[in-house]
Amino acid sequence: MKKIVRGVVLCVIVALLAALPWMGNTVLVQFGINLLLLATLAQGWNIIGGYTGYPSFGNSVFYGLGAYGVAIAMVQYHLPFWAGMLIGLGLGVAFAGLLGLAVLRLKGHYFAICTLGLALVMTAIVSNLEIAGSNIGLVLPLHTGEALFYELALGLLVLTTLTIFWLSRSRFGVGLIAIRENEEGAAVLGVNTTLYKILAFMLSAAFTALAGGIYAYYITFIDPAGVFDVVLNVKMIIMAVFGGPGSVLGPVIGAFVLSATSEVLATKVTSIASMFFGVVIVVAVVFMPRGIIDLVKNLRQAGWRYFIGNVRAHRL
Amino acid sequence: MALFVQVLVSGILLGGLYALMALGLALVWGVLNIVNLSHGALIMLGAYVTYFLVTGAHFDPFAALPIAAAVLFAIGYAIQRGILNLVIRGPMFNTLLITFGIEVVLMYLAQLWFSADYRTINPGYAGASYAVGGITIPFVQLIAFAIAIGLTAAMWLFLLHSRTGRGIRAAAQNLVAARLYGVSPKRIYALTFGLGAALAGVAGGLYGTVSQINPYIGGALTAKSFVIAIIGGLDNPLWVIVGGLFLGVIESLTALFIGPTYRDVASFGILVLILIVRPSGLLGRTA
Repeated sequence: MKKIVRGVVLCVIVALLAALPWMGNTVLVQFGINLLLLATLAQGWNIIGGYTGYPSFGNSVFYGLGAYGVAIAMVQYHLPFWAGMLIGLGLGVAFAGLLGLAVLRLKGHYFAICTLGLALVMTAIVSNLEIAGSNIGLVLPLHTGEALFYELALGLLVLTTLTIFWLSRSRFGVGLIAIRENEEGAAVLGVNTTLYKILAFMLSAAFTALAGGIYAYYITFIDPAGVFDVVLNVKMIIMAVFGGPGSVLGPVIGAFVLSATSEVLATKVTSIASMFFGVVIVVAVVFMPRGIIDLVKNLRQAGWRYFIGNVRAHRL
Repeated sequence: MALFVQVLVSGILLGGLYALMALGLALVWGVLNIVNLSHGALIMLGAYVTYFLVTGAHFDPFAALPIAAAVLFAIGYAIQRGILNLVIRGPMFNTLLITFGIEVVLMYLAQLWFSADYRTINPGYAGASYAVGGITIPFVQLIAFAIAIGLTAAMWLFLLHSRTGRGIRAAAQNLVAARLYGVSPKRIYALTFGLGAALAGVAGGLYGTVSQINPYIGGALTAKSFVIAIIGGLDNPLWVIVGGLFLGVIESLTALFIGPTYRDVASFGILVLILIVRPSGLLGRTA
């Protein structure tokens, strides 16, 4: 019964979100597109970082590849947007597959840093590619109206979230969680860990690349520093971790809460807003390291002791 | 040929500074198992402290370095004691996130206080240089190189032979056993992080004498420090010098033979390659 209520509530929320462009207010729609794309990125990261436990700092590469797939297809070859999306998707997934073979053997810090290095290498390489407009970037054809992009972004977020919902109750998803908790143990129990990890990386890349493609056509101008931005990668991680990594709705909630907060702050106190973001990360990691989802689950029982408990558990 | 040697020399001089930048990161990483993403921001702060001592109090840049080191030591000690020690037993990923948060805060504080303008620390003798057999060696870079190598060697001696240094190494190897022998983990961790920050402070001051500074240089410097720490491994400060020199030379040669825009492709490409081939670092012990 509770599950049905929850499902109905979620459907109503999605319907309300979908209706937003028809209620006017362009500013809100523009904010919405950015927010929905960020939430998709957080969800994409959730698959590899939250479920599989491999903290990728290289997901911005897939975002950039998706964006450049669309941009190069539309600008250099005059293909339609949809073809560009497919190309970007293919680039992102193929790259994740190839790369996964090499880097998913690394653990912990080494994996995080190797993927970060990759993001930096890709930025530098694309800045030197003529077909990608070198470091000047590419200007895409103009489009008509933001509503389409808003609905696309919403659709992609729903699709990503449904995939994670499926993941959380499938054999595949359980295998990923087993890898996160104890990789050797998972292998002993018959999980093909290499295959599972690479598939998770490719799935994560697919959604991230699609988000990049939508962004490229929507913003109509991309350059290497913009779409391969490491800060974007950190943002998606923070949103996922703030909401609750390894949960179905946590990253979406994290993205909505953090985006809304920073948007409100940016209009009130511009220069402090970015710094506030840093303070939020520090405070959140100290007091609620398992995210909002875990906080909501435990706050009612433990009250303020929940925060003290977290600090006790992890301090020296 | 002369051009090649000149580029090689520039690369080596740059590499010494790189080594010093990476030393603090490698120390904290090796002892605390924290990859300190705010390391570059600490280098940036060190550069600003030196800058204001030089422009405001008319210090010689090199005489200002000990003060920069002391200020950064205090900041580092406070960060470890007040924040990082609260999460250090948590998942490794949380320490990455929290140091990133600290980096963001430091960067925007610097922007707020110092503005986003580019600044350089220019001693009166900035243009002076030696000419050795057709090769030019800028005086400031040579001093910076000597200080970097000297400090790295001093660090090595300190870790090897002093009581505190032995405490730090003991804490890195086995915290529980170290505690039994009277090492206070809270103090030793804060001390180590403070030392790492102090080294970053000196590196920042030297960086400011050879390059421009602004509040946003931190990220790239953290990344470079990573690369060097990975090349050198985390076991021995002397290998960090090798890592720094290697990166400096590779960057200079890439700029000469392929083009200046490929500098970052080379340095970060090497990082990825090394990690794939030798997951625990080129010269480090095997995992």
